[in-house]
Parts: sequence; C-alpha cells; structure tokens
Amino acid sequence: MFRAQPLQHLTLWFLASEAPDAALLLAQHGVFNPVAAEDAALPDNPAAAYREVYLEAEARLARILEQCGMTSEVALPPDAAAPSLAELTEINDWLREVWQVCSRCWETQLRVDEERKRLTALKETYARLKRLNLDLSRLLRRDSLLDARLGQVPAANVKRLQEALALAGYVLSPFDQAEGQVFAVVAGPRREGEGIAGLLSQAGWRELPVPPELQTHPDAAREYIEAEEKRLEAAAGAHCQEREHNFAQFGTRVQETAIRLALARPLAEAAATGVRGRRHLAVFAGWVPRRSVEALQQALEARFHGRYWLVAREPRPDELDRVPSLLTYPAWLRPFLPLVRSYGVPRYGEFDPTLLFAVSYVLLFGAMFGDVGHGAVIMLLASLLHGRLNWLRVVGMTAGAASVAFGFLYGSVFGYEDLIHPLWQSPLHDPVRMLAIAVAAGVGFISLTLLINTYNLLNVGRLLDALLGGGALAGLALYLASVHGLYRLATGEGFDTANALVAVAALGLIAAHTWLESRVAVGERLLVTVIETLETGINLFANTLSFLRVAAFSLNHVALAMAIFTLAAGLSTAGHWLTVVLGNVVIIVLEGGIVAIQALRLMYYEGFSRFFSGSGVEFSPLRLAGTGRSAG
Amino acid sequence: MSAYLNTRVSLLSERLWAEEEFDRLIHLPHAEVPSALTERGLAALAQGYGGDDPLSLEARIIAQILEETRVLVRPLSGAARDFIIYWTRRFEVSNVKTLIRAKMSGERYTALIPRLIEMGPFARLDLEELMHADDVAELFRRLEQSPYADIVRHARRAFEESHDPFILDATLDRAYYEGLVRRAQPIEAEAGKPMRDLMAGLVDRINLVWLLRYRFNYHLPPAQVYYLLVGGHYHLQGEVLQRLVTQESVAAVIAALPDPLRQTLEGAQSIMAVFCQLEDRAARQARSVLHSAAHPLARAFAYLVLRERDLRGVRAVLRGRHLGLPSEAIRQALGHQACGVA
Repeated sequence: MFRAQPLQHLTLWFLASEAPDAALLLAQHGVFNPVAAEDAALPDNPAAAYREVYLEAEARLARILEQCGMTSEVALPPDAAAPSLAELTEINDWLREVWQVCSRCWETQLRVDEERKRLTALKETYARLKRLNLDLSRLLRRDSLLDARLGQVPAANVKRLQEALALAGYVLSPFDQAEGQVFAVVAGPRREGEGIAGLLSQAGWRELPVPPELQTHPDAAREYIEAEEKRLEAAAGAHCQEREHNFAQFGTRVQETAIRLALARPLAEAAATGVRGRRHLAVFAGWVPRRSVEALQQALEARFHGRYWLVAREPRPDELDRVPSLLTYPAWLRPFLPLVRSYGVPRYGEFDPTLLFAVSYVLLFGAMFGDVGHGAVIMLLASLLHGRLNWLRVVGMTAGAASVAFGFLYGSVFGYEDLIHPLWQSPLHDPVRMLAIAVAAGVGFISLTLLINTYNLLNVGRLLDALLGGGALAGLALYLASVHGLYRLATGEGFDTANALVAVAALGLIAAHTWLESRVAVGERLLVTVIETLETGINLFANTLSFLRVAAFSLNHVALAMAIFTLAAGLSTAGHWLTVVLGNVVIIVLEGGIVAIQALRLMYYEGFSRFFSGSGVEFSPLRLAGTGRSAG
Repeated sequence: MSAYLNTRVSLLSERLWAEEEFDRLIHLPHAEVPSALTERGLAALAQGYGGDDPLSLEARIIAQILEETRVLVRPLSGAARDFIIYWTRRFEVSNVKTLIRAKMSGERYTALIPRLIEMGPFARLDLEELMHADDVAELFRRLEQSPYADIVRHARRAFEESHDPFILDATLDRAYYEGLVRRAQPIEAEAGKPMRDLMAGLVDRINLVWLLRYRFNYHLPPAQVYYLLVGGHYHLQGEVLQRLVTQESVAAVIAALPDPLRQTLEGAQSIMAVFCQLEDRAARQARSVLHSAAHPLARAFAYLVLRERDLRGVRAVLRGRHLGLPSEAIRQALGHQACGVA
C-alpha cells in the first residue's frame, strides 16, 4: 500500500507468425505492460501492418454497427486463437463489402430523404410556375436560340452568380426560394462550346429535372408529383426491408467478426507501443509484476511449448523513472485516489502517499471544520452523490464524519456551543493552545515528509542526497534541533549549546552538499550555495507556520457562528431563525469549501512537494477488449 | 489587453529577419546554423537541422507560426480573437484538401499522415476519424459535420458537378478567404486604416494573382474567373474585377488596374513578377504598420504576415544548404521563396 509492486522487465521472443496469439495470451493474463524494445538489432516492426489493418477493420465494424442498427456484445471464448494478418485482412475485406452494402442502404435512405425534400420544393415551385402561366416546354426547348435552364442554387451564391453570368451575356431570374436554395431560370444566347457550365457547377447550380410530361399540361404535373410521392414511400419501405435483410444476412457473422477483432486487438494495441522484430521473429518488451512472472512463463510454456524465449531482469537504475508503477489499494482507500492523482502518479520505488493523504486530509478537515451539525449535513449531502461522483461520496462522508468527531471534541452543534458538553474544549476557549497544537502537528508532519523523502532518495541509490540534502536527513536534523532550541527559548530554558551545535553542523552539511551539487563558476556557486541553504532553513519554518491555519480555521468557524447569532439576536423570531438557517448554509457551503481547499493545499504544498515527484507512469497492461484501454 | 499585446508584438518583432541575415545564414558554417536559428527564436528548427525530411521542416515551421500565434491570441477576445484564429485555419483547410485528394486517389492513411499539418491547440478536425472515411462522399459528409461545414458544403456541390480537383481547391480557397474578409470587417472598424490596408494588400494580391492564373494559365472563361475571385470591399471590387477579367493579356489587365496598384505593377511582364511585386508591397506595408503606433491587433497581424514570409525564406535557405546548392542559387531561390512561389 506504501509503494508500487516490484516489477521485472521481460523481453519475449516469438515466431512472428505466432505474435497475435502471444499478444492475446499476454492480454488474457492482464499483467504485461508493453514498452518499446530498445534494441538496434531489431529493425523491423512486424506488427505495424497488423495494427493498420486492425484499425481499419475496427473503424468499419463500428460504422456498420452504427449505420445498420446492429449491436455487438463481445463474449470471448477462453481458448480462442487470435487471427493472423491474412485472416485479419480477409475480415477487413469482408467488412468493406458489408459496409458497401450497408452504406448503399444508408445512401438509399439519404437519397430518398433528399428526393422528398426536392419533391416538396418542386411541388411549390410548380404551383408558382402555374400561376405565372409559363409554358416550360417552350422555355426549355433545346433547338431554340435561347439557352434557358431551370435550376436551384444556394441563396448565398446568387448575387455573385448574377454578376458573373452578366459577363457571359446571361441573366439569372429567381422565382422561388426554399431552405436556403433559390430556384431560378438562367437564360442567354445559345453558343457553341462549354459556355457557362463550368461557372454554374462552381456556383453549386443544380438543374431541376423537368420530365416531359410535366411540360405539357399543369394537371399532369400534379399527377406526376403524386406518383413520385408514392414511389418514394415505396422506396423508403424497401429501404427498411433492406436494412432488416442486411441484419438477417450479416448479423451473425458481424458478431463473430466482432469477436475476432477483439482477439486481434492485443497485438494491435501492443504495436502502438512498438513490437520490434527481425526476419521471422517478433519481440515484445514490457513490465510484469515479479510475482506474476512464473505464472506467465508457465502459461507461455503451455501455449507455445518452448517456441519462445524469455529474458527477465530487474529494473536498471538508469530506467527507474520510466518503469511503470503498479499500485493496488483496498476499496475504502480508492475514492481518495483522484485527489492524489491530480498531483501525480508515484514513481516506481517512490513512497505512495495515498494512505497518508487520506488520513491527514480527513483529520485536517475535521480539525478546521469541527461541528457535529455541519459534519452531519456534509455526510448527508455526500451520501446523495452517485454515478461519476461516487468517489466524492466516500471522501465527503469521511470528511463529514471527521467533522462530527471534532464537533464532539469542541462541543459545537450548528455553531451552538451550549447544546453539548465538549469532550475536550472549544477552540475559542484557549486560542493560544490551539495555535501551539497546530504548530506541533506541523512539525510532526514536516518531519515525517523529510523522513519519507530520505527513504525515496535511498531507494534510488542517492545516498549522499539522503544524508546531506536539505530535504532529507541533514534538513531533518537542522529542523528538529532548531525547533527544540526554539521551544526551550520560548519556555525560558534558553537555546542550549547541543541544539545549536547540531543545527549549525546540519546547516554546514547542507551548504557543503549544495556546493558539491552546483556545477557553475565559483562566484555563482557561492551565491547559489548561500541562497539555497538559507532557503532550505526558511522554507522549513515557513511551512511549519502554514499549519497555523488549521487552528485559525477552527477559530474562524466559531467566530463566524457567533457573528450569525449576534445578527439573529437583533431580529424577530422568524427573522432570527431565518438568519440562523441561512447563516449555517453559508458556513457549510462557503467555509466548508474553503476548508476543503485549504486542507488540500496543505497536503500538496507542505507535504507532497517535499517528497512526492508525481512523475510516475501508471502500470497499464494489455487487456482484452472491454476491460482495458483503447487501441487507438 | 492593448498594452500587453503591443508589448508582445514589439518583443516578437525583434525576431524578424533582415535581408543581410538571410545572407549570413547562407554563408554560415554548418555547425553554427543551429545556434544562429536559436538566437532568432527558431529553436525548433535548430533541433531538426540537418535532417533529411522536408516535410518535417515544413511541419516545424508551421508549428513555430502556430506557437507564436497562440502567444498573440492569448490576450484577445471576441471578433479579434476569432479573426486571428481563423487566420491559422488556412493550414487546416490545406489538411482538408490533402484528405480529399488522398481519398480520391485511394491513398492509405499511413502514407498520408506525414503530409498532414499538426495544428496543435488550434486543431478543430479529428484527422484520424476523417482518414478512416471509406470514400470521398463519406469524407464530405463527415466534413459537413465539422466546423468547416460552410467552406466544404460549397466545395462538395461544385465537386459533385465536375469531379475536378482544381475546381475543388479553388472553391475551398475562395470560401476560406471570403470567411476571412467577413471576419475582418468588424475589426477593421475598430483597428482602422492600418488593418484595412493589410487586408487590402492580402485580398487584392490574391484576387489579382488568381485572376491572372485562371485567365491566362488555365484559360478559364471570364465569367467563371470572376466567380472564383474573393468578394471584397478593397481596391479590386465587383465592377473593377468584372472589367479586369475581360482583358486579353497580362499587360492589358495591369493597364486596366486602378491606381496605386497600376503604378506598383508597371513594367511587370509575367504573373510571377506581378506576384513578387505585390508581395514586396504587402511586406513593406506590413513593416510600416508593425513599426507604427497602429492598433495592436493590426500590428499583431502585420507581425504574423511578416514572420511567415521570413520563415518561408529560412526554409528556402535550409533546403538549399541541405541540397548542397551554391550560395548564389540559394540566394536566387530565396527571392522566389520570399514571394511564396515555392
């Protein structure tokens, strides 16, 4: 719970033809976090083509499922083999064919919709043309000297098109407008050659097809339109049937294909990180929990019967910052993870602060916002959260419970301090004591962070930093000796020699360490050493004083409640209770929010910044579809 | 906002290149080129110096432009912000063209990826999703669901009628620049004459060069050429353009231009010469706006125009050096590159 599980680096060699099955087996075990194999002797990328075909097939499958109204539920058989590249290509080709059929069906629907729209517009257009009493058969005659066209063009293009047509001796005369389209007649002298066709296509002009029967008699136009409506209805019905037919025809195989693709996914996903190879060999590299290596090896042996080569090794010191961190938590601690992860992921080997965070955060919140009533309200409100805010429910309820517990210690219920007897004392009863306790808590917390940082440095082999660093043991010695000396000074015993000697010696060691670490010119080195050493000392004490806010907020809580009661006391009964209720709402929302942020700030800046790099990478193993990350 | 943007522009303008600095870059020993580039705020180009990949150089140049644009956009809001961000969209329109052409030729998306411009924080298209469209029709449908719907819709209609890639590109370009003119209008009122002059320099140059190319290189009829030009309210407006498209030669077009464009282009014999002279004129104009007390937005836009011109020059020099061309040839190519004729 306090550090990532130990991992081993595995390099696995397989026959390239068995790479899909190898990736599948690794994904089934869910313990292999692939990384790029760094070996110049492996120039090939044997899974690149596989990944490309997989992505294409997957995209097609998704489109088919979406456009053809199919659903896919992938239940993978435990003993299934992954498809080879040839089979995957075949699947992809088949999906292309299915998509062509499905998209044809879809296109039909689009065409029917579009034709319906156009027919509606045509109906209105012809109603107007009829009122104009214009003989279309004469207007559109191909052998006349007049080149006339009936069509539609986007309304935004009309003005420009009119100006351009004028240059060619044509006129554009709009006679109707619907849905952003202008219906118009374009007419000009008929000439040989291309004429205005290029211009019209540029402007998005679409000819209105006018069937001969519509050009003869206005009544025939109406009959034509009615017949067209019936035809389109029939076409739409046929489309529905076609869709159902497609579903019946392809449904089963599409489901099977979805399973085959799910089985192909591990290699495609591993290829994104980089499966390397040479000739007929494929090499997977990755990290596996040490405790799982043996089981994985047994599974590989059972599946490949010696047709593989496995090299396992411990992480090298130079790659520790790239090793992923596999962290496991009990269920009750997991809700606090988002708050820690928003700062970062612990590096491999680094102390995992999640438990420390959870305990400290809850205690700090309770101490700053101790009130039985307010805590209970926070618990109640938090218990209503669900869905994506589920994690916040646990955090809120725990913080609320801490608030209730501290409320009993302080004897405070909705700001009233006379309803229950305090188990300890009201903060306002002895503010100096509260402040002293807060500083003492700060000293304890900062000492702990310095120890954790020392542990982290030792863990990565930085012995000198762990002994002499301002943020490690030397810093701790300086800090504790100074604090003890100051405590004696404050209690009238005087800053004793032993403390002074330890503090000066620690400061000297920190300065020497900074001097050794600095790699600049002598003058600058001296400046850096002096400033950084001073900064180390100042920071330790400034951070300690930050903890005064814990007491300050507990005092503030009482003071705010007193202010509300004073305001309420001058009002009538109704006004009194209204002020008390609204005041408590303000305290819960405003002060509760501020305290939640302050507690987080204390954890991040006075705690995490001392020992937690947060620059780790989460362990992300290959998994089967639906249980892991996306292959994209 | 004004003071911050002004300061930013003034600081950035120190990075602009003088002519003699290009000469220096041409003659520098190889080992000193990266540090010279870094000194001029081009650390990203310095890192990749010496590589074989011209696409990578192009990508790094565009990334540099986008990064500087990002810095300048930060204090802007409303129409001004919209305008500067839209100015970067031409790179994404270029991606749209690349995608459409790739779909038309059935190119595989892995081969396409290196040619697409990485838009970083300015990206509005999901290129991977678009690349997986099965055909051009589907790609158009997806693009019409994107922020480029307006630009693409017209192009799709034109393309469906003609299936001509030239028509497609021309329609996309026209739609893009008309969008730019529309976005410039509200800020021209605020940023005044300097902004209007910059836009006029840009739009008039584009219109005139397109007009000459469409008329005399592609031999399109006047009416179609007129339709393909950008509608604007600068020196070359509707009636002037209508008169120009009916001229029968480059010289006749130049003679029919209104002043001061006609004076600028007097003596220009070719479309290339016209382009270079207009480009130089626009650069002079941008420099004068940049070094004046003009509205900060106008200064920022002038800087972006000049910076892009500079970077095209740097690209010409680096490519020339990479190919081992003699200094004089690079100098000559630099002249063309500076005119954007690469």
